[in-house]
Amino acid sequence: MMMLAIQQAPAETTIYMIAGYSVIFGVMLVYIISLIVRNRNLKRDMQSLHELEEQAK
Amino acid sequence: MQSKPRLLTILDIVTLLLFVVAVGMVFFYAPLEAVMGQVQRVFYFHVANAWVGMLGFLVAAISGAGLLIKGDPKWDIAGIAAIEISFVFFFIAIVSGSIWARGTWGTWWTWDPRLTSAAIVELLYAAYFMLRQGIEDPDRRARIGAIYAILSFLSVPLTFISIRIFRTIHPVIIGSGAATAQGSFDMTTKMLQTFMFSLLTFSFIFADLLWHRIRLGRLAVETETLRLKTLQ
Repeated sequence: MMMLAIQQAPAETTIYMIAGYSVIFGVMLVYIISLIVRNRNLKRDMQSLHELEEQAK
Repeated sequence: MQSKPRLLTILDIVTLLLFVVAVGMVFFYAPLEAVMGQVQRVFYFHVANAWVGMLGFLVAAISGAGLLIKGDPKWDIAGIAAIEISFVFFFIAIVSGSIWARGTWGTWWTWDPRLTSAAIVELLYAAYFMLRQGIEDPDRRARIGAIYAILSFLSVPLTFISIRIFRTIHPVIIGSGAATAQGSFDMTTKMLQTFMFSLLTFSFIFADLLWHRIRLGRLAVETETLRLKTLQ
């Protein structure tokens, strides 16, 4: 009876769920941060170029 | 660079809200699967990530066709944006699928038709970035990139149907799967609702990220143009 109860319980796979969602959330977060950083860097470059252009005038 | 459109801000907020609800549904609304246990919850976002991957590769192929027909560089910006996003999301789908496989099949990887074809798709699009890096002339880069995006897309429907036409252990979620499939399960109403909501949420995430990435691409082009003008 005890063995039957053990066999009917779902498999203990919580660690794999945590690992799976860590990858899903982690990679998504890294990608969003990369977009923000690239955007900030480009805006900074743009500003520097505008300043150079003004100085040249 | 134009200021951020109001519609994009609204899309950001809606997408974030949908994402929070989807996460809540995955962990608190969808019931525990009777055989696989908690790892089955990976399935909701695993499929949604693969969906975004395939959707983006389709958008890239359409953008490639648009560029070849119209010759407008904006299609190139859209194409590379779609491929970049899809590459990331398809990567997540492959890795999360591998983790699910470890919990369900007892192995991280097997050379099953679905897994193999998915890996080929990801490698094909990795090569897309390498190809672009190797071409200096922007017009030629855009044209060759467009042709490559169209041809690479042929691998996407093949991956989608691979579990339906080949003998495979990968479960078929919609429709009937092969008898060899391992890890198949019957979705309850709550599971199906969570699954469909996750697909909707990730479609919004794709649209939102695509818009942001296209704006970034435009900004990069504007910056490069200004740099060349300043240096002259």
